[in-house]
Amino acid sequence: FFAEEKLVASLASMSTSERIKAIQKMPETMKKKREIRNKVLKEITKKSRHHCTQLSCCTECLQGAVVRFRRFGNSLSEHFHQLWLWHRVLKIIGAEFGTSVLSYFIFLKWLITLNIFSFLINFGFLAVPQFVAAEPNDLSFKGLELITGAGYFQQTVLYYGFYTNATISKIENGPSYHMQLAYIFTVGIYFVICFLILLFSMAKSFWRNFINPQTYSGNASKLLCTWDFNITSEEAVKLKQKNLSTQIKEDLAEVSREVLSYSVRERVVRIGIHLVSWVASLGTAVAACAGVYFLSINNLKLFVKGRKNDLETQAAMLVLPIVTSLLNTSIPFFYSWLGHLERFQIPGQQIYVTIIRNITLKISIVGILCYYWLNVVAASESQCWETLIGQDVYRLVLVDFIFCLLGSFFGEFLQRIIGTTVCVSRGLPEFDIGRNVLDLIYAQTLTWIGILFSPLLPAIQMISFSIVFYVKMVSLRMNCQPPRKVWRTAQMTTYFILLLFFPSFVGVLSVVGVTVWRLKPSEECGPFRGLPSMYAAVAEWVKTLETYTASKWVVWIYHNLITSELFFFILSALVLIITYLYWQIKEGRKTMTKFLRKQIINVRNDKMFLLKQLRELQRAKHSPSAP
Amino acid sequence: MGNKQTVFTAEQLDAYQDCTFFTRKEILRLFHRYRDLAPQLVPLDYTDRPAVTLPYELIGSMPELKDNPFRQRIAEVFSADGDGNMTLDDFLDMFSVLSEMAPRDLKAYYAFKIYDFNNDDYICKSDLEKTVNKLTRNELTPEEVRLVCEKVIYEADADNDGKLSLEDFQRMIVRAPDFLSTFHIRI
Repeated sequence: FFAEEKLVASLASMSTSERIKAIQKMPETMKKKREIRNKVLKEITKKSRHHCTQLSCCTECLQGAVVRFRRFGNSLSEHFHQLWLWHRVLKIIGAEFGTSVLSYFIFLKWLITLNIFSFLINFGFLAVPQFVAAEPNDLSFKGLELITGAGYFQQTVLYYGFYTNATISKIENGPSYHMQLAYIFTVGIYFVICFLILLFSMAKSFWRNFINPQTYSGNASKLLCTWDFNITSEEAVKLKQKNLSTQIKEDLAEVSREVLSYSVRERVVRIGIHLVSWVASLGTAVAACAGVYFLSINNLKLFVKGRKNDLETQAAMLVLPIVTSLLNTSIPFFYSWLGHLERFQIPGQQIYVTIIRNITLKISIVGILCYYWLNVVAASESQCWETLIGQDVYRLVLVDFIFCLLGSFFGEFLQRIIGTTVCVSRGLPEFDIGRNVLDLIYAQTLTWIGILFSPLLPAIQMISFSIVFYVKMVSLRMNCQPPRKVWRTAQMTTYFILLLFFPSFVGVLSVVGVTVWRLKPSEECGPFRGLPSMYAAVAEWVKTLETYTASKWVVWIYHNLITSELFFFILSALVLIITYLYWQIKEGRKTMTKFLRKQIINVRNDKMFLLKQLRELQRAKHSPSAP
Repeated sequence: MGNKQTVFTAEQLDAYQDCTFFTRKEILRLFHRYRDLAPQLVPLDYTDRPAVTLPYELIGSMPELKDNPFRQRIAEVFSADGDGNMTLDDFLDMFSVLSEMAPRDLKAYYAFKIYDFNNDDYICKSDLEKTVNKLTRNELTPEEVRLVCEKVIYEADADNDGKLSLEDFQRMIVRAPDFLSTFHIRI
């Protein structure tokens, strides 16, 4: 009873949201929680009545207003959630295939939301003002533009070249909209927001799924903590039970297999096979990059030569994206075949090695394309090199989308036909989560690179991701079976977000950085025409601000914080020191945990020893007294 | 927005919202799911708190639970009298703990109770054997089951008393980051 009084008192002294969270977290039945809640509310009204009797009317009104506001906020968020139809779809996928496949679809949903957000920002701040000051479009619209992105679209808000460098104002001496500053600040602030979103997602993911690699021996947790309550179809449950029993039998048998060691000759042969396959995979990646580079140099000649808008030039423009996507889709199959050839000791290693090879391939292709764009296209004599890059990215994104759909058809549909009619031992294909997630990350990287040159690209990516979602879902339910091996979902989700952040986002930031700081914008088009670099717009704006006394603080911040190296040096030193301190705290806590664990065992042993002594003493006391 | 529903009073809905992880709409949706199991037993008007209990057979026939090997234990743990018959409060409680917003400690507490078949606050060897048999559909031999249970106790038991306490279980959960997403039923 006293414990409950203490609980009620402590709950009454918390703020509203903390109190609600604490009540929700209590491991009691609903009846008990309701009783405690009512007691707490009574206590609160008693306290408030005690303290401010004069202001009782005001505080009651305020409290009533707060409650009404909370209810309004809740119902608003409910309506917002109802807009998404994902709930039922995700439930079906989770029910039949489990949490690991579900994680792919949740990641895809997250990317769609990110693209919607990007589109809204770019549309609101860049496209809408541009519509006000738009020049008329004198090109005709033929259907082929949807795929090539050239032609009619060149004179629309889709590309950088269309944006004006003037100050837009509809009314004379009214509020004006400075397009140059708007463009660079919108793109800059968008990337900062993306950086923060990715950072927080990564931190949350690490915090939730704290991975302690040394203690994941896993038998106990594999048994008790990994049964997937999401699965609700009978065949999936039976399959999962069968897989679990097979795995347990394998684990029990593996104890004897670990002792097996290989002879020297066998080990050399194995290392040789590994080396050869690594050389083969890196060689294919290098060959693919060289092919893409030479093809793109030829591609550029097409543009600079002439501007005939006939069918031949249009079709020739599509060769580069088609070849790139073809290489991107077919080489991963080659890598998985290589992975099957090398017999890895631990089956999990095969997945990781294949994923690493795929990542290397994709990074090198994107890298070579960026090199081509920034070094060759930007220095060429074309009229508007930014629009050229925008069109290239548009075509790449679109063709990649088409190849993704085709890959789903060939990869899963055909494999099912083969697995059920020709080669029945293979069975239905499994959904390859790793390869599909890497495709998504590649597509998102292209979108991010293209945002500077084609601000409305996220809209296209948004539509294509939504279509991919439904196509993959249909293909999954028709053609695939649930995964056989236990896929460490939480760990892999963290690694996916990490992949999205490090190679992908940081790479994009460096490309955008080089473009903004070092490249000379084209003379005749775009919001930065005539300036020595895109960043010069900001420098000029700060110079004009110096004349106003009211904004001297902005100028001071710019000169002493943003452009001074000393500030960033001090900032980095501080971050390193704080990281080191946290690391030392973590090490200290680890030692403490080990020590406390030993103490638990010792206390238990002491207790058993004392109990034994007590029993012996009692026996000794009773036996002599028996007559 | 607006009090168009007549099932609960505003105060009852507020109380449910504060005690579970659901919003108003979800609570009403769950009420209708509960009612659909037995429309003739469950009244449409809950403002006077009727004492309606649905038998376990109806709860266990829900599509979310009917193929789950642990459905009986889940119903027993969340029912007030421990035999699987649930009131609306128990029903909401169950799906609230199994929803994705529930924190890890709360889920660990209830998962421990589910696997504790004899309700003695410890997962002993017999509890583990029953769990393994349910997880593998009785496909392992008794010898294999015994080996597995011994391995699990050896790995997870920190105070060497031959059974798992709640603390041992919680420590195990920390090493299984998937637990939050697998101990989850979407409704």
